[in-house]
Formats: sequence, structure tokens, C-alpha cells
Amino acid sequence: MKSILTITRRECGAYFGTPIAWIFIALQIAILSFFFFQFSPFFVIESADMRVWFGLTPFMLMVFAPAVTMRLWSEELRTGSTEVLLSLPIRVPELVIGKWLAALIVLVASVVFSFGIPLTIAWLAASPVDWGPIIGGYLGTILSGMLFLALGCWVSALSQNQVISLLVGVFAGIVLVLVLSPDFAMYLSGTNPTIARVVESFGIQSHFRAIERGVLAISDVVYFLSGSLFFLAMTVFQIEMKRQ
Amino acid sequence: MAMETGEQAAVAVSHTRDDAPVVEASHLCRTFGATVAVDDVSFEIRRGEILGFLGPNGAGKSTTLRMITGLLAPDEGTAKICGIDVSHDPLAARQCFGYLPEAIPLYVEMEVADYLRFVAVSRGLKGADLERKLAKICSRLGLEQMLRRSCGTLSKGFRQRVGLAQALIHDPQVLILDEPTNGLDPRQIIEVRQLISELAQERAIIFSTHILQEIAAICTRIIVIHSGKLIADGTAEELAGEGTTDWEVVVAGAGIAPEMCVGIGMAEGVPGSPGETVHRWLSDVPPDLGPLSRQIEQSGSSLIRVGPGRETLEQVYLRLTATKGGQR
Repeated sequence: MKSILTITRRECGAYFGTPIAWIFIALQIAILSFFFFQFSPFFVIESADMRVWFGLTPFMLMVFAPAVTMRLWSEELRTGSTEVLLSLPIRVPELVIGKWLAALIVLVASVVFSFGIPLTIAWLAASPVDWGPIIGGYLGTILSGMLFLALGCWVSALSQNQVISLLVGVFAGIVLVLVLSPDFAMYLSGTNPTIARVVESFGIQSHFRAIERGVLAISDVVYFLSGSLFFLAMTVFQIEMKRQ
Repeated sequence: MAMETGEQAAVAVSHTRDDAPVVEASHLCRTFGATVAVDDVSFEIRRGEILGFLGPNGAGKSTTLRMITGLLAPDEGTAKICGIDVSHDPLAARQCFGYLPEAIPLYVEMEVADYLRFVAVSRGLKGADLERKLAKICSRLGLEQMLRRSCGTLSKGFRQRVGLAQALIHDPQVLILDEPTNGLDPRQIIEVRQLISELAQERAIIFSTHILQEIAAICTRIIVIHSGKLIADGTAEELAGEGTTDWEVVVAGAGIAPEMCVGIGMAEGVPGSPGETVHRWLSDVPPDLGPLSRQIEQSGSSLIRVGPGRETLEQVYLRLTATKGGQR
């Protein structure tokens, strides 16, 4: 556990000590805020919800999570610093989890910085705020973020080139969000309902939407946690393979 | 976790007798696809030894070192550090050695002090012990003025020192350095060599290089690797003793004038030991000492020794690595 925190602290230093984390946080909040205030009926009917915000979140994470994780392993593999890292008395799963946690802290920081939006809504809205969906939306952001970041970690461990890591990460995210989507499942349901169910259950959107509505089902939490675990295990496997 | 491995390592080290080998490589083999990178390499090193790992580029030096550190799994064979098998108990084994890879990869955005603290904490050091060891290693490597500099702004020489500091911070029994003087200027090379010689008093050092002068300057033992095979293992004298050259005539002072040499049947002199000049005897037949000595004295010098010449390290190396596939 101590080793995990040592790695997390170092990676957080690399994120927050350089502009990477701040650019990520600022850009994500700026883009989401723009769409939120542009397309939300907030100023028209003063609706006290963040549906537009959380509706966009999976699409934002699809692009931004690989941008955060692309450096985690690719950069180390390119410079050769993995040679020193892997000669330290730290287990590979601890290295992987430590790095992933640092990326998660960047995401949590961006969530915390965005609390201004719900507070503004609560202050301005005519009707009382229904906090359930907002808390659910943030929880869904963190849970899906865990999965996106674990996926990004694995992709980053596959290549020494950060641009390739980013592009493959975005592509994998597109598969999880847009291909394995409820819309595509609906299109398939007429011809092959079994595949449609599989498509929907493996995609991120259906699980995210359920949590965002304020319904916290165990199955959705298990989906995100097991998905994260799967990609973290794949990262461990990928790094261990470099010894072979 | 790190504490546990530290204790395990300490126990292992305490069981290591002074004369016991601290590194044991046994029948290491490794292939990459169809290429045999390392083929049945075995050797041992004891405390106080500086082992020079010599071989042409691509001979298998780095692959062997990476197998000893556990960064690469051998196809066959075992590597032990302080008696611990690096495959069976990698965490305990890693506490016993410090490793400096060829590329000296540092985290460019980190300050030197933060980087060294990160490595130290990862190695299980903490509190006053960490600060004491950090201060000691920084003082020894002359890094005190650089602690607040970010690693990315350091010169090559200081990068090398920070790389050495991270390898030494936990005071390991074994130091493994992959081409540690690569890219340094002559002054820095001399400094690193001096440092390696000093450090070897308390530990075993393996370093790979393809620079012969480096080996001659500091190594107590040499291993030559060629095409993945270990083709020689011994001191510089032992390796040189394995082969002889033509007869040579050693004379005092600056030697015989070139025009005189032609008459006697010798090649032009080259400097030998201090105050001596070595002339190669041009005939296969050994020189007749009496007439030779008189002629040399007539030319104003004096004969010191006549005998079969000892090979220089360059000649040894070329002889060993010239044969195809490293087979002698």
C-alpha cells in the first residue's frame, strides 16, 4: 500500500507540477460549461438539473481520459525509465495501481472544480434542486472515469509513442461509448435481440445513464469496477510481458 | 511491503559470507526470436571486485546485465544476487543491488532531491535514515548544489551522477552499471572511474563497456562476451598471458634511432614501461643476445630484456573477438 502511494505521489507531482493536469481540468470544465449554458434550457425555464452536463460527460471522458493516461507508461517506455522503476522493490500491480490512482486524482480534481455549476444552479433556480440525479451524475462520472482511465493505462502500456496511445485510447473509448451504445442496441434489437442486449450491457452509456438518473444499482457499479479491474490486470500483464 | 523486503534482504545479506559470491550467473541463455542474444553465460563476482563486461556493440552485454537485474527473464539458467534468486524473490533481490541503465533515464520534471527521495522511499528508506543516506550520497557525488535543479536541466555529467546516486542511495552490495562513461567528457570519465574504484572497496561492481582503456584503468577482472558467448574471464594479465606476440627487445631510455634499428633488424621503438622503449624484433629467429647487446650499447643505450612480447589489451580483445561466432 505504501509503495502504491509513493508512486501515486510521484505521478501527481508530474501531473500537477506541470501544466498537464491544469490544462485538462480547465479545458474539460470550459467545454462542458459552454455546452451546458448554450444548450441547457436552464436560462429559459430555469430547470434545476444538470442533464446536459452529464449527458456529455461520457463523450468528454472518451477523449480526455486517454489524454491524461497517454503519458503514464508510453513516456517511461520511451525514455527507458521503466528500467529503473522495475528495478525498484515494488510489485508491478502496485506500480500500475499507483499510476492509475494519480490519473483518477486528476479526474476527481476536475469534478471538484466543477462543483461551481450545481452551486450556481441551486442559487439561481426558481424551483428546488433535486440533488439525487446530480450526485448520481458525479458518481457516474467517477465510476466511468475509473474505467476509462484503466483502459487508457493499458493502451499506454502498449506503445512507446504517446500520440499512438492517445489515438488508440480514443478509438477504444469510441467503441465503448458510441458503438456499444443504447442507440445501436435499439437498431439491432429488431434483428437480433440477444446481440442487442450484449451490446448494451458492455457499453458504458446504459450503465452511466442508470446511475445518472439517481438509481444506484449494484450491477452498474459492478460493471464499472470489474471493467476497471480487467484493464488494470491487462496493464499488469502487459508490463510483466516486457520481462519475457 | 518495502519494509518486509528490506528485512528479507538484510537477513540474506547477513548470511552472505565475505568471501561468498554476491553475484552468481549460472548458464544464462536468452534468445530473441531466431537470434541467440546470450548463450550459456556463467560467472561469479565477490565483494571488492570490479568486473569489466567487455564486448562489441550487440554482443549481449546489456542482455546479460538485464537478466541479472531481473528486468529480463532468462530462457534458461539462473541469476542470484546475495544468494537470492532474482526470479524467485525479485523484491528481496532488488534491495541488494543498484542499477544504472545505459540511457540514464531520469524524470525530467522532477527536482534532483525529489527524484532521489522518490527512489529512496520506494526502496523502503524513511525518516532520519533516509535523510542521512541522501546527504551522504549527495556529498560523495558532489550533488549538494544541484538538489533544487530539475533533472531535465542537468548536464550529461550531472545526469550521470544523479543516476549513480539513485543506484547507490540504499547502499547496495552490488552495483550494476551499463556503459557508465558513455558520452562523458574526459574529465568526467576520470571522475566516474575514480568513483567506481572507491565504491568497489565495500561492494561488487559490474560495468559493461566497449572502451578498452576503461577496463585497463579500473577493472580487477574482465569478462569478454562475443556473439552471446562468454569467451574470456580473468585479469588483464591473465588474458594477455594467453597469447604472445613476436619477440621484442626492451631498451632503456628513448630507444634506438630509427636508422640504427634497420641495421639491427628491429622495428622503430614504442614507449613501454616508464623509462623504457620497446622494439619489435622483425625476424622469426630469436636475436643473438651478445652481438645485439653490444650494438645497442654502441648506439648509446642499454639492453633491459629480450623475450616474447606480451599482448596489449587491444591485441587480446581483437584476437578474442576476431573469430567467427566467438568460438576459440
